[in-house]
Amino acid sequence: MSNNQTKQKTVKASKLYGDYLVMLVAPIALSVIFYGTRALAVIAVSVLSAVLSDLIFSAFLRKNFLLKDLSNVFIGAAIALMMPAGISLYVPAVASVFAVITAKIPFGGSLRAPFVPAAAGFAFATVCFKEQIFDYSYNSADKLLGNHSLGSLLTQGNAVYLDTINTFDILSGNVAGPMGTGCGLLMLACLVFLAFRRKEALFATAGFIAACVLYAAVFPRINANAFTSVVLELSAGSLLFAAVFLITDYAALPEKRLTRFVYGAVGGVFCMLMRTVGTYEETVCFAVLLANGFSPVIDSVVKKLPSAVKAVPFKRKEAEK
Amino acid sequence: MKMISELILTAFYTVFVQNLVLSSGLGMSEAIRVSTKPGTFGRFAVMISGFSVATSFFCGLIDLVPAETDRSYAVRALIYGAVLAAVYVVVAVLAKFVFRASDNLLGSLGIAALNTLVFAIPHINNSAAYSLAGSVGSGLGAGIAFVVAATLINRGSQLIAENDEIPEAFKGTPAMFFYVAMISLAFAGFTDKNIFG
Amino acid sequence: MSNNLSFKEVFIKGAVIFNPVLVQLVGLCPVVAASTTLKSAVMLSAIACTELIIVCVIASAILKSIPRWARVPLYLVIGLLLICPVLWYIETKTLINLSLGMKIYIPLIAINSVVAVHCEQFAVKNSVRLAFYDAAAVGIGASVIFLLVGTIREILGNSSIGGIALNLPISFKGMLLPFGCLIILGFMAAGLKTFISKRHPEYLEVSAPVAKKKADKAVAEANEPQPVPVEVQITEPVETLKEKIDEPKTDADDIKIKTEAEIDEFLRSLGINLDEKGDGQ
Repeated sequence: MSNNQTKQKTVKASKLYGDYLVMLVAPIALSVIFYGTRALAVIAVSVLSAVLSDLIFSAFLRKNFLLKDLSNVFIGAAIALMMPAGISLYVPAVASVFAVITAKIPFGGSLRAPFVPAAAGFAFATVCFKEQIFDYSYNSADKLLGNHSLGSLLTQGNAVYLDTINTFDILSGNVAGPMGTGCGLLMLACLVFLAFRRKEALFATAGFIAACVLYAAVFPRINANAFTSVVLELSAGSLLFAAVFLITDYAALPEKRLTRFVYGAVGGVFCMLMRTVGTYEETVCFAVLLANGFSPVIDSVVKKLPSAVKAVPFKRKEAEK
Repeated sequence: MKMISELILTAFYTVFVQNLVLSSGLGMSEAIRVSTKPGTFGRFAVMISGFSVATSFFCGLIDLVPAETDRSYAVRALIYGAVLAAVYVVVAVLAKFVFRASDNLLGSLGIAALNTLVFAIPHINNSAAYSLAGSVGSGLGAGIAFVVAATLINRGSQLIAENDEIPEAFKGTPAMFFYVAMISLAFAGFTDKNIFG
Repeated sequence: MSNNLSFKEVFIKGAVIFNPVLVQLVGLCPVVAASTTLKSAVMLSAIACTELIIVCVIASAILKSIPRWARVPLYLVIGLLLICPVLWYIETKTLINLSLGMKIYIPLIAINSVVAVHCEQFAVKNSVRLAFYDAAAVGIGASVIFLLVGTIREILGNSSIGGIALNLPISFKGMLLPFGCLIILGFMAAGLKTFISKRHPEYLEVSAPVAKKKADKAVAEANEPQPVPVEVQITEPVETLKEKIDEPKTDADDIKIKTEAEIDEFLRSLGINLDEKGDGQ
């Protein structure tokens, strides 16, 4: 039995996604505070679409449908929270269906899916409905930058200066953006919860954030100091949300601590690279998918490393002889 | 210095921003077939880069020759194809009769030279109006892009083969299609455009 | 392969059971990159099918005696000599307005892996009649996929069919990108697999690594030392027993032969043989 198979059989999906859903309660509450019942409608449609599509496909494939594993609820809720509150309801529905039928079911369920289904769903929606996904005008008149998001601010590359007041606004999520992922302070709280429940997964988060911080400090997209660039990049879009909820996905996570860190760092670098040269304002889900693709490669490369390192002094001795 | 930075930038663009295999589908069948032989990846990177650069170079020279009328795409394809075939034949003859290459290596040469990826490179250079440095960069990038794709697919196929939870209908090639689709979707984060519009 | 095969037998195998695109994973470039509309799919499938048949017949008729490494570039040259005049005619003499992509992708068909694989795997090893049958079956199998994919992508991605607007409320631009095509191909391959498992279960595809694993396991099990009986009554002379031990054929050999044949079949379906295109003689 491979390590991967052994790993999958030691965890219960309901516990795993139950934890994620507990962590999602706070972002959901915040989205309702900011956007009212509209946020609830988007989340409900997204969750229902994910559950129903799994139910129908499972029936079609004659597989047992397990609502209690909670993965569909997580997929639907995560996709909805990354979207703007004013989005047409069919967009989160399409994204959730896509996530379930292309990234989850064909690979045998959430615990075996090599790509994070929620990231796949959101990435698909970004490609198909670009204008709607980045339209943050709903209920955002009294936000820090009006209906302009931090992502669009960074894209323009202007000079930016942060003071204490607007730094707090940014960290508390009082900026136009995805409806449930903008509050950095909440994400920090979720991270603390995750540290108690699955601290091993945090190596990926650490790698992801470290890479993003380093990249933002060295290659700022705006005319500002390194601190401002880092704060804005981390707070823009769903970067911190992905660092807590997506990059830590169990099935795609490599086995060892070092590989998890490298995996996270690869995701972080790709995320920032896509933000810099790509066409979309928000690219974190694409970066997560790319890191998922590289995950088994990183695993195998790092596995080979110790023997390669051992082989070097051995070869040297041979050469000396 | 300017030439080197142009070369590196074009290679980077070809590998990541517009990964020719995963974002454009060029040479995808070959990448999937080669992905089952990870030991040959280095060889393929060198060969594909070599053939792409050589073909681009000669095609670039031919493009410089003024024609009485604008060459149609059909004529251009015929010229590029003839150049590619000639480059392959020269290399294969040298490998076979001078270097006594094994049959296996000659087989790899055939796959590396005669695929849609290498044949498309001169067209890409022409339509993007790359300079010589840019053409060399796109040729080198093609080889790297191919190996990046083959490596990702190789690991994916192993994951799929080990996964006993995949529904019966999706086992094998269907799951493989979905796996490659997800990587391709990930690369779509760099650009939402097809390479030839 | 037997020369008595009928077109129906070759067709079922070449077009359906070992469908070039869905099972053998060849010819992905034109379908993934260029079949984005019904019009482009019709054009690509017509050219690809015709070119495949002509090149395979020529390969079977006159290229058998040439070494493989020298034969492969000839497929490209012959293909281009067939395709480029057609493209030139369309470009200059007709009112068909080809996109830049199509002008570049149509000549790429000449170097398509379907042509190289089927000429090398089949045409040069069989009679002209069988090569024609195989090329026609494979060409039709690939063309059907091109057309289906082109139609689905145009409907979903452009909300139109054959250029006629359908005015659907939603269109999915992503389906026009390569990943969209791969997803459609994934569902089609799953459908084909279900069909084969119901109608032709003897050809049920198993991935090559799994087949190899099974083969290794079977051989290892067969070679495992059997428990030695506690009491053995020798009733035959020692010479006869010795002869029996020296017999070359064992159960393990039977299993090995059987599984190797199985793997060969799967290699054909998955196209993992690297030497198909042009290793030397």
